[in-house]
Amino acid sequence: MLRAWLYASTLTALLAVLAVFGFLLHASWPLLAEQGVAFVAEPEWFPYEDLFGLLPVLIGSGWVVLLALLIALPCAVAAAVLNAELLPPRMRAGLRFVMALMASVPSVVYGLIGLWLLLPLLESQFDLLTGRSLLAAGGLLALMILPTLMLLSEEAIAKVSAEQRDAALALGFDWTRMLSRVLLPQAWPGIRLALLLSLGRAMGETVAVMLVVGSLDRLPQPLYNLLQPAQTLTSRIGREMAEASLGTVHWAALMSSGLALALAAVLISLLAQRGRAHEI
Amino acid sequence: MKPEPNVTPCVVADQISESQALPLALQVRDLSLTIDGQSLLRDVTLNVPLRGVTTLIGPSGAGKSSLLRCLNRLHENWQGEVAIDGVNVRQWPGGVDVLRRHAGLIGQKPCVFPTTIAANVMFGLPRLQRKRRAVLEQCLRQAALWDEVKDRLQSPAMSLSLGQQQRLCIARALAVQPKLLMLDEPTASLDPRSKQLIEQTMCELAQTIPVICVTHDLDQAQRLGGQVVFMCDGKVIEAATCASFFNSPQRIESREFLRWSVCDC
Repeated sequence: MLRAWLYASTLTALLAVLAVFGFLLHASWPLLAEQGVAFVAEPEWFPYEDLFGLLPVLIGSGWVVLLALLIALPCAVAAAVLNAELLPPRMRAGLRFVMALMASVPSVVYGLIGLWLLLPLLESQFDLLTGRSLLAAGGLLALMILPTLMLLSEEAIAKVSAEQRDAALALGFDWTRMLSRVLLPQAWPGIRLALLLSLGRAMGETVAVMLVVGSLDRLPQPLYNLLQPAQTLTSRIGREMAEASLGTVHWAALMSSGLALALAAVLISLLAQRGRAHEI
Repeated sequence: MKPEPNVTPCVVADQISESQALPLALQVRDLSLTIDGQSLLRDVTLNVPLRGVTTLIGPSGAGKSSLLRCLNRLHENWQGEVAIDGVNVRQWPGGVDVLRRHAGLIGQKPCVFPTTIAANVMFGLPRLQRKRRAVLEQCLRQAALWDEVKDRLQSPAMSLSLGQQQRLCIARALAVQPKLLMLDEPTASLDPRSKQLIEQTMCELAQTIPVICVTHDLDQAQRLGGQVVFMCDGKVIEAATCASFFNSPQRIESREFLRWSVCDC
């Protein structure tokens, strides 16, 4: 009975994943049937002229996620090392509590903080008309993924056994060398998992990004200009879904944005698995 | 009321060293260690000659492992004096990291790093020296492991048996060229063959450097020969040559321990 229940549960989960992809593909079909997959590389998005290019949002999402990781990863790992290795137990518990608190704050609150603090700061610092930009979205996302990244990385570092530490010290390693040659390499699988989870959150975050990214359906000029307003996959879906009529090509185009997001998540997951297999 | 056992400080080690007239590799004077209010070592005084095996025996909790961890300053908050090759370990030239390379320590549980066999052996060396095949081979030969792994040096160290892993740890410790080697129950829970190989390795190493070995196995202590130090309750009860200790122990605690493997001190 238990075995049957386990099989049924696993099968249900598998079918649910397939159903999501099936639904997204089905909902995107009107656009795919009309334009093929060429729209993915098109730079223009004007629904009233039947132009549904995904390139600006793909570039926008890529930049925002990359920026978030570039800012958050070093900060999170540094905080994790500090907390796991250097701080006294009471301060360690305090920092963990603060991080857990940060992780539980709803994303819309981060968005409001971004509107209130981050955008004026960017406007004044870079002399911009509006602080809404890829940099603002990336910075805000970095703040949002930092707690998860830090807490999971800290756990991974703390899990390195006392025997491994003693073995390294007995070989004459100082703390810096032990950190770089024993602690971080051995904690890397855990840190990579944290990175993957954070990447998922960064890619899927909608409301906070929508509030600060600027929602401009245009490629940044030049492509590396992070101070321009832009659009991401999620912010486009969030902003336009209510305006699109069910069954129209516009609606199908938004669904295809969702499909692209889901495929990107699968691709990252596969790459992570591949990296793990190579490591073993 | 139980009578207080006779626990006068041991001076036999000095007598042995003096009689053997060998220079000393290690001198420990009045070493005491207290951790979290618990006294782990009490006025330990001990000499280790320049070559040969010194075996630390005694019941669990006697302070044998703690003593080794004091010698290379993995435990720092002890009182007393420890000198290796005549140099106070508190003022070791180059600092504690250099001291730990000088006095290698191998733990009870084989602890290999999650990398290849070759990388494990060379783990403690600076980057530029890690590719030296001759060093790799020499250390693995010294640890009696070369013949078993020479064809799979790039295999994961975790794929080795426990006995092989322990010998790999010895090879890794030897790669940094210690002048004193300390092994904390290196053969605990190993099969007889691995035990024999590790004992053989220790005896060979003891011809050139001092080897200090903690063991619960009295037969092993007899096989290793050299000097035997019997510890109990954080104190050195008796130190003598192997033959002298096992044939005519001087202290009643030693005789009880040899007969019943218990110590009531």
